[in-house]
Amino acid sequence: MKINYIKGVLAGALAMAALSTGSQAATYDLTVDYVTIDTGDTKTTGIGYNGASPGPTLRFREGEEAVINVTNNLKEATSIHWHGLILPYQMDGVPGISFPGIEPGETFTYRIPVKQSGTYWFHSHSGFQEPDGAYGSIIIEPEKREPFKFDREYVVVLKDKHPHSGDRILRNLKMMPDYYNRKQRTLGDFIDDVGKNGLGATLSERGDWGSMRMMRTDIEDVQGFVGLINGMSPDQNWTGLFKPEERVRLRFINASAMTYFDVRIPGLEMTVVQADGNNVQPVKVDEFRISVAETYDVIVQPKDDRAYPIFAESMGRSGYAFATLAPREGMQAEMPELRTESPMLTMADMGMAHGDMGHGDMAGMNHGAAATDSGSQGSMPGMDHSNMGMGEKADPFYAAGSGLVPVAANGGKFLSYGDLKAQKPLYAERPATREIELRLTGNMERYSWSINGVKYEDAEPIRLKYGERVRFKFVNETMMTHPMHLHGMWSILDTGQGKWNPVKHTISINPGTTVYSETEVDEPGEWAFHCHLSYHMATGMFRKVVVEGGPTVTQLGNGN
Amino acid sequence: MKKRDLMMIGGSAALALGPFASVGMAMEPRIYYGFQAEQFEYRVSDESEKRLVWDTDAFVGTDELKLRWQGEGERDLDADSYEKLENRFVLQTPISDFFDAKGGVRIDTPDGADRWYGTVGIVGLAPQWFEVDADLFVSETGDGSARLDVEYEGLLTNRLILTPSFEINAAFSEDREIEVGKGISSAEIGLRLSYDLIDRAIVPYVGVAYERKFGDTADFAKHDGEDYEATYIVTGIRLMF
Amino acid sequence: MPNVKSNFLTRLALSTSVIGALMTAPLAAFASPGHGQGHGSVAAEIGTPGKAADVTRTIKIVMEDNFFDMETIEVSAGETILFQIENKGEFVHEFNIGTAAMHASHQKEMMMMMEHGALDVDKIHMDKMKMDMGNGMTMEHDDPNSVLLEPGKTAEIIWTFPADAELEFACNVPGHYESGMMGKVRLKS
Repeated sequence: MKINYIKGVLAGALAMAALSTGSQAATYDLTVDYVTIDTGDTKTTGIGYNGASPGPTLRFREGEEAVINVTNNLKEATSIHWHGLILPYQMDGVPGISFPGIEPGETFTYRIPVKQSGTYWFHSHSGFQEPDGAYGSIIIEPEKREPFKFDREYVVVLKDKHPHSGDRILRNLKMMPDYYNRKQRTLGDFIDDVGKNGLGATLSERGDWGSMRMMRTDIEDVQGFVGLINGMSPDQNWTGLFKPEERVRLRFINASAMTYFDVRIPGLEMTVVQADGNNVQPVKVDEFRISVAETYDVIVQPKDDRAYPIFAESMGRSGYAFATLAPREGMQAEMPELRTESPMLTMADMGMAHGDMGHGDMAGMNHGAAATDSGSQGSMPGMDHSNMGMGEKADPFYAAGSGLVPVAANGGKFLSYGDLKAQKPLYAERPATREIELRLTGNMERYSWSINGVKYEDAEPIRLKYGERVRFKFVNETMMTHPMHLHGMWSILDTGQGKWNPVKHTISINPGTTVYSETEVDEPGEWAFHCHLSYHMATGMFRKVVVEGGPTVTQLGNGN
Repeated sequence: MKKRDLMMIGGSAALALGPFASVGMAMEPRIYYGFQAEQFEYRVSDESEKRLVWDTDAFVGTDELKLRWQGEGERDLDADSYEKLENRFVLQTPISDFFDAKGGVRIDTPDGADRWYGTVGIVGLAPQWFEVDADLFVSETGDGSARLDVEYEGLLTNRLILTPSFEINAAFSEDREIEVGKGISSAEIGLRLSYDLIDRAIVPYVGVAYERKFGDTADFAKHDGEDYEATYIVTGIRLMF
Repeated sequence: MPNVKSNFLTRLALSTSVIGALMTAPLAAFASPGHGQGHGSVAAEIGTPGKAADVTRTIKIVMEDNFFDMETIEVSAGETILFQIENKGEFVHEFNIGTAAMHASHQKEMMMMMEHGALDVDKIHMDKMKMDMGNGMTMEHDDPNSVLLEPGKTAEIIWTFPADAELEFACNVPGHYESGMMGKVRLKS
């Protein structure tokens, strides 16, 4: 009896000890492998996780420690970066900044204390492995109940899979920057424009752009890709099932190398509830533009017993991704009509760098009038707007008169950064302690991209002090859109909402615009900060951020 | 040094530096390389003369400094001889947003006398999308000359491209041994219609070319019983790897 | 002559009664979701404001960000319920009894309120609500079937449910309904 009693006490004590050492760690084993990626049209050798691309969906719980053992089965070094996760810098996965990388045959153990919830993704940060297929998704279950309800959920990962490998694409871009641009203006366009605007105006307009040696159709550097949703091409038709009247949560992730997508579900309004993993005050939209590396969680409530298309057209309209939401297996939604006309940059997108284009005759420039946000919520019974001065609202995150302003295909509401408001601010509001200007620069002809005119290899790191609140001023002096991503710390995008400014990890800066974001420097160590367009990052649009001061992080080696 | 030796040196340099082209997130500057054949064509003249003409290019290097080999040639298929055989090895570096400066050597080894030259030049994209290549040469015999090459790519469609081209050569002093007279020595204009068959890698084309010698250079040709001008129908293929 | 006079009187009587009936109709117990002067459009049968004396049950409703603490409310046909509503969240929320269609149109109105500055995420601006919308209508939120509460506030609604109707209770603050801040009212006959 006494022995049993002692055993009982011991067992109880052991159980207590186990509980008190923290919650059960979620452990994952990932292998990095060469895989065959078959989109139906093209079959290429790429890189995947656990034998597939995209890799698996990892599920973590807020408050736990996630343990991921990564074994490299490639012939070259690899790495995994956990995009959007706040963690000790040695676990961030950037070779040369966080750690030396994972050699062939080596297994590296990541240990991540999970301090957040939401939708995130992971990808290789070595070479062009990510464009070649090394990406996967992360769902982090929250500790507390989320401010929205849903009956089922799906991860929807977008990818621009190109038949060429990343190495080859960059080599080609270096030899010929418009190698992959098949949406350039031709003789036919010239003749059309002469018909519309007259010879003089057309020559003058062509002359203006020709003198700058810039193309109005320079929206997407790398065309010729197949749009994938969860690894499947439009023909392969990924399908998510639902029961009519259910609320479905769609976790959209844009894991593309270079492509922005305009996402819509014809027939369904989407309620955006999360951006970059952080809850936002819910906003109903018909369509949204998702930059490379961003995530958006939306709730839809399909009511009819029919198939709905999930449709993502690339920003430059050169490609698209397609999937189906259906009440039963074996259904394929109807393909919406494609919008194939490429947007065209206007002089407004040239903004900063070319303020002296004082040419009088701009008759050919009508293409990019600012899209009007008529906020069509349907008719307002009894509400007379005309007295209220409710004018059309242009999206403030595009240059006034930009040719890139998106318009919803059904004429409805298109999401703007201005619509994003934090559901619960992560940080108390306080003024920034200093401002750092980062001019986004580059030379399209040389396909060379940089920050403040300096490439990563020639640049000094950005030094921040632990505890400060730094305000980044992004000035886009190029005519391309750049999704800027700071590792390890949140970027509070200044949308003019004060304490409700949304908290993001990736901020897209449109051509000719200046955008501000603030960061509370509360994570010690060294972090990467770069444009997330793969070939811009590789040619120099990248910086190392060094946080000086703060608690010394104990040397976290391989899984220790 | 024979042409073959030089090509081998260039080739092995490219191969040796190849693996570094896909450096990860390291701090070293990336190394790029590429090969282009801007012209590789079969010509038939109005007098039924047949020629094989090429203009090729290979480079290896970083954004800041490239080693470049440019090879041009014209082979007379009837006479089985090299009318023109030039190989240039230059170092090239950016001097402005749209232009590079280059300098190096040019080695001519056609049938007839060989010549070595030192060369400097600029190459780049001029306003209104004209591709410009301008070079100065000084030969081992102390004779200076210049060449200007201009091209424009007109997009009929996104794959069908009409390219007019223009080249002019001038010599500052006579070099009778290689039959070049003082003044404008020769010029060539061409019009080629190409189709991007496989990406920009394999691009077949057809076109016309007109070559003409001027002044004393023309006289030297006439003296040899040759034509000083010729019009060709050309068919060829452009390559880019 | 006497015929004309009696006809006139008849007509006068008839028209008076018709007009009288028409005038009393708006006073009938059709509560309409609207602002200030109501919409005057055909209101569905959703019930009527009740009397305290008739209350058979009390239901506590807790509002949080962005959900109600209950998914369904079960009531008997014709029952009068006292709802005690508390906003435990950090945002403004509404508790509104009506049909799905009514909620949909009310959402548009609440969106207008936000756009005009009458409603912030965490504050109600009473002064802005009294603002004339240009046709004599205001944005006041004072209907008997709904309450709009700032964080920390409480309110009560006494409501008598109809015999039969498809009713939902909802928060129509922009985005909240779509996020799931709504539920069904199950009427047991």
